[in-house]
Amino acid sequence: MIYIENNSTDPFFNFALEYYLITEKQLPEDQVFIFWRTEPTLMIGKYQNTIEEINEDFAKQNGIKVVRRITGGGTIYTDMGGWQFSFITKGLAETIDFNKYIGPVIEGLKKLDVPAEFNSRNDLVIHGKKFSGNAQCMLNGYTLHHGSLLFNTDFEQMVKCLTVDDYKIISKGIKSVKERVTNISEHLKNPIDTNTFRKLMVESIMQGSRAEYKLTAADLERINAIAREKFASWEWNYGKSPKFNITRTGRFDGGKMEFKLDVNNGKISDCTIYGDFFGTMDIKVLSEALIGTTYNKESIKKAITAVDIKQGFYQINVDELADIIC
Amino acid sequence: MKKNVQMPKLGEQMETGVLAAWNKEAGEVVKKGEVLFEIETEKVVSEVESMESGVLEEVFFEAGDEIKVDEIIAVINCD
Repeated sequence: MIYIENNSTDPFFNFALEYYLITEKQLPEDQVFIFWRTEPTLMIGKYQNTIEEINEDFAKQNGIKVVRRITGGGTIYTDMGGWQFSFITKGLAETIDFNKYIGPVIEGLKKLDVPAEFNSRNDLVIHGKKFSGNAQCMLNGYTLHHGSLLFNTDFEQMVKCLTVDDYKIISKGIKSVKERVTNISEHLKNPIDTNTFRKLMVESIMQGSRAEYKLTAADLERINAIAREKFASWEWNYGKSPKFNITRTGRFDGGKMEFKLDVNNGKISDCTIYGDFFGTMDIKVLSEALIGTTYNKESIKKAITAVDIKQGFYQINVDELADIIC
Repeated sequence: MKKNVQMPKLGEQMETGVLAAWNKEAGEVVKKGEVLFEIETEKVVSEVESMESGVLEEVFFEAGDEIKVDEIIAVINCD
């Protein structure tokens, strides 16, 4: 096993590094190990529907990055208070095996006197509370296993960017998350900081070996290109979303309005509008303007601006209408 | 000769898998070793390669379908 020191906290770069090692670099060693972390980020499972998983407004306002993984599973929130680990192993596993990769992580935690266990849902728990999620993919003849470790993560932010904007739901959510999820740092007998934790975990997992591959300038150039072209792109993060239906309802002075939208690969593919709104405009003009539009506020605003909504809707402006739709 | 493509069993516990995406379309030529489709089981995305070369003659499922292990997903005509 060989270690790659990766101090980037950019999730796009970090996922691009894994991808580069699997699809282009293909180091001669059987296994590569990386231990890394990110700025506040929402990581979406490969086949999840990004728009349905996250509170996009909150994420945008707070500069939280959104990135789709190449592995399965659900959405997680990561920040500088947590760590991610990746094992990239040559060869495709005959059968799916999580223990092989999680075993060394549990060992490392036991050395710190943390009573970590593996449960039946492929999660790592301490006293029944989850602190790690794990996922895999088999790609290009390689098995990638990566997982998260909550060390000192901000659970309040985690809940806020994963739930709808409602004060009551958020406060309930925070309570419920604190009952189910835990930070490793809460279980340490001798407190250590986030960086010391990393050092001790890497030493334990590498079993004292100092075998290390240092990324070259040429490597970095390719990784940055993959980060930019693939992992930071709208097409990858939103465009790949499976087809879904959404219903949005809004009330305004002029009446009530409901939008039924089909969204396919991030774009509105069908739109029907219902309501008791007041106006002289043929409502079809609006639905036709929306079909083909990317399902985000900016694009929707642009599409609506092209339609003279004053004729159709009494006392409602473009911003308000866009807020209802998206 | 026609060969069936079945849902592989990737783990002891696996009973079904979700066909996450097709990499080939019906009617397309496929080569042995090319990725036919991707499946997702509990937290794992796997590429499934074609065991045969030929034409992907019929596909019985689309992306998003949950399929039982061993069920026939597609037929490849190897002639």
